[in-house]
Amino acid sequence: MFRPVLRVNRYFRAVIGICLILVTAIILDRALSAQSSETSSQASVGSGIFTTAHTSVYAAVREFFGIRSTPVQPIAYTHKVHLANGMQCTDCHVGVDQGPDARIPSVNFCMTCHQVIAKDKPEIKKLAAYRDRGEDIPWQRVYGFEPSAHVKFNHAPHIRAGVDCKVCHGDMTTQTVAERKVDHTMGFCINCHKQKAASIDCVTCHY
Amino acid sequence: MERRDFLKLSAVSGATAALEGCGNPDHHLIRFIPEEDLIPGIATWKPSICTLCPAGCGTLVRVMQGEAEVVRKGQFGILKMGLAKKIEGNPAHPINQGKLCPRGQATLQVTYHPDRIKTPLKRTGARGAGQFHEISWDEAIKELVSKLSELTGEKASGFAFLTSPLRGQRANIVSNFTLGMHATRWTQFALFDDQISRFANFESFGHLAPMTADLGQTNYIISFGADFLGTWNSPVAQAIGYGHMRNGRPGQRGKLVQFESRVSQTGANADELISCPPGMEGTVALAIAHAILAEKLRPANAPNAAAAHIDGWAAGLPNYAPEKVAAQSGMSAATITRIAREAATNQPAVALIGDAPTSHTNGYFNALAVNALNSLLGSVGKPGGVLFTPPPPSAKNMPTGSLAAMIRQIQTIPDAVTVLLLYNANPIFAMPASSGVKEALERIPFIASFGSFIDETSVLADLILPDHSPLESWLDDLPPSGSKELVTSVAPPAMKPLHDTRSMPDVVLDIAQQLGGDVAKALPWKTYDEAIQASFTQLYKDKAAKNAKDADEFWKKAQDQGGWWAAEESNSASPTPTKSAPVKNVAPQFDGDPKQFPFHFLPFPSQLFYDGSLAHLPWMQEMPDPLSTVMWGTWVEMNPQTAKDLGIEQADLVEIASQHGKLQAPALVTPTIAPDCVAMPVGQGHENYTRYATNRGANPVSILAPLTIEETGTLAWAATRVKLTAVGRGKLVMFGASLEEASPELKHR
Repeated sequence: MFRPVLRVNRYFRAVIGICLILVTAIILDRALSAQSSETSSQASVGSGIFTTAHTSVYAAVREFFGIRSTPVQPIAYTHKVHLANGMQCTDCHVGVDQGPDARIPSVNFCMTCHQVIAKDKPEIKKLAAYRDRGEDIPWQRVYGFEPSAHVKFNHAPHIRAGVDCKVCHGDMTTQTVAERKVDHTMGFCINCHKQKAASIDCVTCHY
Repeated sequence: MERRDFLKLSAVSGATAALEGCGNPDHHLIRFIPEEDLIPGIATWKPSICTLCPAGCGTLVRVMQGEAEVVRKGQFGILKMGLAKKIEGNPAHPINQGKLCPRGQATLQVTYHPDRIKTPLKRTGARGAGQFHEISWDEAIKELVSKLSELTGEKASGFAFLTSPLRGQRANIVSNFTLGMHATRWTQFALFDDQISRFANFESFGHLAPMTADLGQTNYIISFGADFLGTWNSPVAQAIGYGHMRNGRPGQRGKLVQFESRVSQTGANADELISCPPGMEGTVALAIAHAILAEKLRPANAPNAAAAHIDGWAAGLPNYAPEKVAAQSGMSAATITRIAREAATNQPAVALIGDAPTSHTNGYFNALAVNALNSLLGSVGKPGGVLFTPPPPSAKNMPTGSLAAMIRQIQTIPDAVTVLLLYNANPIFAMPASSGVKEALERIPFIASFGSFIDETSVLADLILPDHSPLESWLDDLPPSGSKELVTSVAPPAMKPLHDTRSMPDVVLDIAQQLGGDVAKALPWKTYDEAIQASFTQLYKDKAAKNAKDADEFWKKAQDQGGWWAAEESNSASPTPTKSAPVKNVAPQFDGDPKQFPFHFLPFPSQLFYDGSLAHLPWMQEMPDPLSTVMWGTWVEMNPQTAKDLGIEQADLVEIASQHGKLQAPALVTPTIAPDCVAMPVGQGHENYTRYATNRGANPVSILAPLTIEETGTLAWAATRVKLTAVGRGKLVMFGASLEEASPELKHR
C-alpha cells in the first residue's frame, strides 16, 4: 500500500527535476543565442550550434522525444481532388522510381494546368500570385528523418519492389494536404523488410 | 501509461509551452522558381575543362540538384538548381586520362567563393581604395562602350588588352577585338609562362610550342630544374608517364637524374640528385654532350639541327670538357662523364629543362643547350623522347607584346594607354615592385576588369564586369603539350550561374556589336558558344570528316565527350628549324654584389597556389605542401650550414633583403638546398585578394630585381641575390606538428 505512493512521489520529483533542468537549459540557450545575434551582425538564420546534430537545446529535446510540429502548407492543396480526376502520383512526383527522392513540382508545373483550370478559386489565385512574384511555393516537409538518425532512404528500390505509395504515405485519395498518417519508426520499416525478406542489416539504411 | 512515456510527456509539455511559436527561420526565406527541372538525388557527370593552370586537363563535374542561396532581382532567397559537387579527371581526355591534381579539384571553391564579385561594379572611392557600388549590366556595358567609342583615329592606339595567356576561341575573340579596335596591344602575362621554351623549341626544332616528353616510354631522364611532377608544363600527364616509366614495364625501371640547387618534388623522386649552381645548367648539359661526342657514344653524323645554334658545337665543344665544367661548377667530372655514358647507352633518353634554369638571364641559352643535347641523344620525335603536340589546323599568330614593353611605353609616352581591359592577369602581385608596374597601371585613365575577384591589380579598375566561374561558362581549349595527339577541348556550362555574372567572351562580343564598324566585322559571332561551334565546324572540315556524318553531329559528340582528339594521328612531320647564328654562352647576370648579398634567391612555383592566383582557395591554403608540409603560410628554405653560420634555427623569423626590397618569413632549415641558395614558394603575401589570402605570408616576387631575359622580354625571376638577417622567433605551422612545435611562443605557457 505504501510503496506505490512512494514510487509516484519519486517519479514526480524526477519529472519536476528534469523539467526544471530543461527549462533552465532552454532559457539559457535562447538567452545566449540572443546575445550572440546582438553582438554579431553577421549571425545568419539557423547558424547556432548546440551539438553537431542540433542547432539548439530546444531542437535536441524535441528530437529526443520525437516531437514534430504539424506542417502548415502555404496553399491548401488537395491530393483528393487531383487523384479523383484521374491523375497518378508520378505525374507530379517525377523521379520517384529513379532516385532517392521524388520531385516536388515547381509553381510553373502547377500553372501549366491552372492557367486554365479552376483559375477563379482562391487557392489557385494564391498559386498564380506566387508565380507572378517569381517565387516558388514554400511547401513544408511532411515526412523525413532526423539527421542524427543517419537514415538514408531511397525511394527507387521500394517502387521497384512494388511497394504501394499508400503503404508509407497513407491513402492520399482521402487527404487534402499531405498528413503524417503513417509513423515511420524503425519498427515500421523492419516489419515490412522482414515480410518481404529484404535486408535488415543496420547498414542497409543507416550509413 | 509507462514511466518513460510519462516522463516524456511531462517534460515536453513544460518545454513546448515555454517555447511556442519558435519555428525554423529558414522557412521565411523566399524560394525562387527553379529554372531547370531536375530529379533530386540523381547525379550527372558533365565534361568540363580545368582552367586553374595552363596544362588544360579535361574534367568531369558531378552535378546534382541542390539549394543555393542567391540574389535575384535584388532579393535574397533560395533557388533549387543543379550544383557542381565534385570534380574528377575525364578518363577519355588524352592529357590527364582520368587523373586530376588537387588544384583542379579546388575549382569548386572558385565557384562557391564567398568573396566572388556577384554583380557589375563601378568605382566610387579613390583608385585602389576598393570602394565600389553595384550597377546593372546595361549601365556597365553602356559606360564601357562610350569609353571605347572615344578611341577613334589616332586615339585608337591607346587601347590595350591585358590578359592571362589565352587559347582557342577565347584568344581569337580577344585578338580580333584588339585588331578591330585598330590597336596592336594585346599583352598576355603570367609569371611562369613558357615563352623561353617556345622560343627555344622554335629555334631548335621549328615548333613554337612547349615540348611533350614521352616519359612513359623513356629509360633515362636528365632533368635540369624542371619540376615535371609538380607544376611544370603538364604535370598530370607527366606524372602518369613517369608512373609508367617506373612501374608500367616489368623488369625495366628507368632512371631519373635531376640537376638543381633547390630540391623540388621531382628532385625528391630522383635516383640521382646533383646540385648545380644557378645559371650553369646549359653549360652542364653541354659538358654531357661533350663527353658523348668525345667518346663517340652517338653516331657522329646523326642529324642535329639544334646543335647549329650552339657556339662551338662543330669544333666538338672545346670549352665544355667535363673537367673544365667541373672546376667551374663544383661537380665531379667523373659524374658528368658517367651520366653521359648512361644516357647514351640507355636509349631512349630525354633531357628536360624548366623553372629556375630557364629564368636566369641566360635562360634562353640553357634551353637551347638542352635542346641540342636532346638532338644528340636522338630523342627528338622518337617514342620515349621529345614530342610535340600537333598544332590545330587553324592556328595563327596573334598580336602580343610583353608587359615590360607596355610599362616602358606608359612611362615614356604620355597617354600611351588610355583604356585598358584586364582579364585574369595580376601583374601587380606577380611582377617585382621595382618593375614600376603599379605606378604605370595607375597612370592609365580608364581600366575595366573582367575578373571574378578583387586582387591587387583589379582593385585599380574603374569598372568591373565579373566573369562566370569556369563551371558556369562555356569553355574551349587547345592544350599545347601533354599529348602526342591533337587535342581540342570543349565544354558547355556544367551549371547555371549563381550570380549576376556574364562570360568574358560574351561581353566582348556584345560590346563589339554595339561599337559596330571594324570591330563588329572582326567578330562575326553573336555569342561565345557560336564562336566555338564555328571552330569545330572548321575542324570537322579540315581533320575530322570521317569521325561524324556531318558537322552538327561532330559538334554534339565533341560536347558529350569534352572535346575531340585525333587518336590515330601521329606526331606531325618535323618542320624545318630556322637557320641563324650560333648563340654564345654569356655568363648569367645576377642582381646584387655577391659580397653584400651572398645568397641566390630562388622563388619557385607553389604546389598549392601555382603563381599565387590560387591563394584565395581555402582548400589550397589548408593543404600541407608535399615537401615542407607547411600550411596556411610561407617559409624560406635554407641549408643547415647557412642557418648555423647565421645563428638561425628552425621557424626563426628571417629578413630577406635584396637591392630592391625586403620581406620576412620563417626559416625552414633543410638539407635539400645548396648552402649558397635560399628559396621561397610563390603564392602568399597578397595585399588584397579575398579573406583567405590577404595579408598571409610574404611575396618573394616583390623583392626581385627587374632583370629580363633579352630574347623574350620576360622576367628573369631567378636572377636576384639576397642577404639574410635573423629577426626573432617566427611561426611555422606544419602538418602533424604539435602545438609546441607549430607555435614555439606557446612553449612556456
